[in-house]
Amino acid sequence: MLKVDALYKNFSDKKVLRGINFTVPSGQIAGLVGKNGAGKTTIFHSILNFVGFEGEITFDGKKLTEKHYSQIGYLPEERSLMPKLTVFEQVRFLANLKGVSTKEVQKRLGEWLERLQVKGKPEDKIKSLSKGNQQKIQLICTLLHNPKLIILDEPFSGLDPINTDLLKQVILDEKKRGATIIFSDHDMTNVEEVCDDLIMISNGKVVLNGDIQAVRNSFGLTRIFVRSDWTKEQLAGLPHVRRVSQTKSGSYRLELDDEKYGTELFETITKGEYVQTFDQQPPTLNEIFKIKAGENK
Amino acid sequence: MSQIGVVIRETYRRQVKAWSFLILVISPFVFILISFGVGYVSSNTGQNNNQVAVVTTDASLRHELQNSKTVTAKYGTTTRAKQAVKNDKIKGYLKIEQSKNKIAAVYHGTKHLTQNEKRSFLEVIGQKQQEINVQSADLSQAQAKALGMQPQFEQVVKTDNNDNQETIKTASFMLLLFIMYFILITYTSATAQEIAAEKGTKIMEMIFSSMTAQKYFYGKIGGIFCVIATQILIYILGGSILYSLAPRFEFSKQIFNDNKTFIDKIIANLGSLNLIYVIAGVVLFTVLAALCGALVVRPEDATKATQPALYIVMVGFFGALMLGQNPTNIIVEVLSFVPFLSSFFMPIRIIDGSAGTVQVIISLLILLASTFGLTFYVGKIYSGLILQTDDIGLLKSFRRGISIK
Repeated sequence: MLKVDALYKNFSDKKVLRGINFTVPSGQIAGLVGKNGAGKTTIFHSILNFVGFEGEITFDGKKLTEKHYSQIGYLPEERSLMPKLTVFEQVRFLANLKGVSTKEVQKRLGEWLERLQVKGKPEDKIKSLSKGNQQKIQLICTLLHNPKLIILDEPFSGLDPINTDLLKQVILDEKKRGATIIFSDHDMTNVEEVCDDLIMISNGKVVLNGDIQAVRNSFGLTRIFVRSDWTKEQLAGLPHVRRVSQTKSGSYRLELDDEKYGTELFETITKGEYVQTFDQQPPTLNEIFKIKAGENK
Repeated sequence: MSQIGVVIRETYRRQVKAWSFLILVISPFVFILISFGVGYVSSNTGQNNNQVAVVTTDASLRHELQNSKTVTAKYGTTTRAKQAVKNDKIKGYLKIEQSKNKIAAVYHGTKHLTQNEKRSFLEVIGQKQQEINVQSADLSQAQAKALGMQPQFEQVVKTDNNDNQETIKTASFMLLLFIMYFILITYTSATAQEIAAEKGTKIMEMIFSSMTAQKYFYGKIGGIFCVIATQILIYILGGSILYSLAPRFEFSKQIFNDNKTFIDKIIANLGSLNLIYVIAGVVLFTVLAALCGALVVRPEDATKATQPALYIVMVGFFGALMLGQNPTNIIVEVLSFVPFLSSFFMPIRIIDGSAGTVQVIISLLILLASTFGLTFYVGKIYSGLILQTDDIGLLKSFRRGISIK
């Protein structure tokens, strides 16, 4: 289990982290979200001991130190490798630092290249690979030593939908292996699809933390999706409806003042008429993100 | 293998495999070989058409004369010799005839005989004429012996040992100074470039998530040191080969043998404590260059960042060049204790013999302590320097780098 307790960090006069607390249980995936500059990367850098900080960070009950490095897999925000090296040389260098023998690298690299569908051979120079394939090589470098704790800083950025799905599958596989995973992302869909827990930070503080569905439900079932003969204007004229918008599929999305008015609306809309869809849901993570970001402006 | 070992290996491999290293290492040898080659070819081609043929019926005389390198036995008749002169294969021929107990030698050619050639021909011919004269005079053995008596001539030369010692000292010091200067100029720039290039990449974060920045820095400096050591070893090996081959070749034998004592003494001066000064100096400057490289954001700014290190190198080099002849100068004495500069100035005093053992030990301890101290300090702040990637100038970058950790 990764535990971050009362984490504070200042850069000169600027308070970047102001008492961050969260835990990621073993074998779980947590999504760390927040606006640009919210302090996500600083949290990762603190976990990795790149920067000095106040507070305590432990993994499996022990303070994270140099001794844990071989158990950590870290993928930085921007992608970059050593372009003049071959794929094998690059992976071997980083794997050797993690304590994996060259013989073992030779064995595992082939499996990973196949698993991530990399278009390239171990003897190819890094610079000869496409950007997407270089990204995959960097991911291999992060995961080849089977780390217990995986930290991924915006791992999906720049990936096409096919490779995004591929990476999601790899992350889920790593979870099955037993790894504790934390990653940051701006796209809430990725977080919603992959993560068990959500950690939302704003202005250096955790503003939301917990099971994703529980977090969503805590905002109430204030969204109703309706597909019927009712027009947008008619729906907007109903009591307790704050806003109406049309979704791409053609149904209307109603925002209520409170979830308790759902029953009332259901009765009004369905009275004597055929209703194809009536679905009451909590706000999406994207909406929650916007709400929370707005609160902390 | 330990993590530091992995970094040393990778740094070493990357640099040694580069074309620039190969060119750097072999260029002095190529230069020496070309110089020797040109000398050899010109001496060989020049030798042929500078030779003289001897035309004579006296076999013993011909044999005596042909002992000289400038005489060829190829053209034994007047016709052949004339043709050879015409074809520019020889510069001339010496026709020797004997009539009525008198030897007559006539030289025909397109160039004059040198004084040496003329002297050696006259010596051989004169000796032959003397033999004929003794025979024809029908002298007794005692008379012949008396006539053959030669004056005694000896040379007693007292060499000026002090002058030689001074030359050896100056040559040793100059050689050491230039070797050090070129190694420092080459590696300070290369180190700063490499560190700056790495700093621009996020792979440093992946590396620092595997080992501490401090350990990585030690590995990096270790790797660069191994590259420098390899270059010095190749030079030592190449120098040893040249040393053993020089006396075996005609074109270098003479020069080598004439200067062997001189060369041996210079080699002895280059070894000893001076080598420690060079090594410690190179490591110290490499660490300083690494610090400079870690302060810039873009690799293209690395040259600008290394300016402070290069200025110190130049102060040391030109200062030592100017004051090298004056080892007892107070400036030389003071600077021989100052880290960064002591590597330039203390060898002057060691070679001169004007530095006492205690002074050398103190200077060396200061230099080694500075080298280890700076390495340790830069290693400690390395993470902050490398992970700070805002382009805010060298000093601010340094201050922020320190404050990150």
